[in-house]
Amino acid sequence: MKSSIEVENFTKAYGEFRAVDDISFSVEEGAIFAFLGPNGAGKSTTINTLCTIQHKTRGTLRINGNDVTTEQAKVRKDIGIVFQECTLDSKLTVRENLKLHCDFYAVPKSEMKDRIEFVLGLVDIEEWGKAPVSALSGGLKRRAEIARGLVHFPKVLFLDEPTTGLDPQTRANVWDYIKKLQKQKNITIFLTTHYLEEAEICDQVAIIDHGKIVAHDTPYNLKKRHTRTTTRIKTSDPDPLLRYCAEKSLPVARESEGISITSTDIGAVMDLVSIFKDSIQDLEINKGKLDDVFISLTGKEIRN
Amino acid sequence: MRAIRAILARNLIKFFRDKMRFFFTLFMSGFLLFTFSFVMKSAVAGLAHPMNYLVSGIIIMTVFQTALNNSMSILEDISTGFMKEILVAPIARWQIAVGQVLSSAAVAVLQGVIVLVVGIFMGLDLDPVHFAMMVCLMLLVGITFSSLGLFLAALSKESTTFQIMISVVTMPLTFLSGAYIPTTVIPAVLRPIVYLNPLTYATSMFRYAALHMETMTTTELVKSGVAFDLHGFVVQPRHGVLITLAIGATFFGLCVNQFRKADFSRVTVFKRGQHR
Repeated sequence: MKSSIEVENFTKAYGEFRAVDDISFSVEEGAIFAFLGPNGAGKSTTINTLCTIQHKTRGTLRINGNDVTTEQAKVRKDIGIVFQECTLDSKLTVRENLKLHCDFYAVPKSEMKDRIEFVLGLVDIEEWGKAPVSALSGGLKRRAEIARGLVHFPKVLFLDEPTTGLDPQTRANVWDYIKKLQKQKNITIFLTTHYLEEAEICDQVAIIDHGKIVAHDTPYNLKKRHTRTTTRIKTSDPDPLLRYCAEKSLPVARESEGISITSTDIGAVMDLVSIFKDSIQDLEINKGKLDDVFISLTGKEIRN
Repeated sequence: MRAIRAILARNLIKFFRDKMRFFFTLFMSGFLLFTFSFVMKSAVAGLAHPMNYLVSGIIIMTVFQTALNNSMSILEDISTGFMKEILVAPIARWQIAVGQVLSSAAVAVLQGVIVLVVGIFMGLDLDPVHFAMMVCLMLLVGITFSSLGLFLAALSKESTTFQIMISVVTMPLTFLSGAYIPTTVIPAVLRPIVYLNPLTYATSMFRYAALHMETMTTTELVKSGVAFDLHGFVVQPRHGVLITLAIGATFFGLCVNQFRKADFSRVTVFKRGQHR
């Protein structure tokens, strides 16, 4: 599989302070890759450098094989970006902003009108096309910005906190669209997010903290490695269950209304459940979440 | 080409859409014209075309200041975030600079033309050929000083710094250029500054066109303050065109260079316009 984004030993330093400290990763073509980390971890610095508007201190960064420092023109043609802050021209209308973008990216004039209507439809803001951007709410601006980032059909799409400030309905729509796009056009998507449930649906997740990547894998593997599954069993007679667990060396603890087993060995737990099914009154399985991975790796909650 | 046109069109749309700004632009030109023509009338009483002398000075100042000030729109683009959209686009950096320079020059010329037209109603003596000549010179001056302004803007990256820079640049350039005060009455101590001032040559060639001085001899031109005798070498108004052009090209080059290396992402972004 071809890599769309390749980053090797990338460092960005401001004097002594290293915003990004020697990171390396790559993203396969057509994958959705999430960059997860607290504020100031180095997410935006990495995106800005990949987008050619910030300069690296050291390292190699390539997009579709083109170096972001020496082949800027080629890189810029291939990418679409939705920045964290609004970068629309607030004095122009939504359509004028999109048209301007088409002019910048040399979208064929014959296709321009259709493409603009197409992307406006995707984010469901056709009726706002004639409105000046300054009249739009935060959520509508975001949608307009996403539409703009897509209108030139980029090969790699960067989304810096794409769904921050959107209502759940719009967030879901944006995600539906991102996934549809990835399937249809085989676009590679690189995003940063605060929402862990969004990172769950990505193909690859990298967790960055203090400018270093602390983990990089599929969400499934990350959860498997860094979280535990807890099974709570409610029973009035816990002793035989505790004895059974001790025999099978399953980590177990006594609780006020029963026991709790902390193990990812689901088979062993199911055996226990089938043996003691008559004395079990209730059962609850808590799978680990990406939140737990995040906390276990960085020692803090993501939203602070 | 398409990107340059798009940047130009966008900036002009913004200019015309900003009703207040457009109104004040017109108001300032009219104000300058009226006050100066009343106040300075006695000072230029002995000249053949007093109105032409005054109006040419006012026009060149209008074009010069508008061109410099309009470059500030790029700072607004940086602070609202729109500059990022331009910088990540696959447009050559020189094209971005051309688009910005042309749009602020266009606004400056527009303003100059307005003053020119108002001037005609106030007794400015002008035929179509000289009118065309003056518009061309305005464009040249507009482009040159837009380049200077854009360079200063890209350098300062912040509107307060830029404002200070502009004041520091504008004041001495204006008063030591002959636009208002004839160069012939400026004390000898300040002459070197007059000769180093790019605006001096812009003013002289503009006045040369406005006052129909084509038939004058070199000595007469020097006496009228539109040609300059530098130890035997006489700088003619036509040299002024080349000097202005050279200065414009220099600052344009510096601008492009600034765009290429500038890290605009670190410029502080205003809170408004953010998604909150």
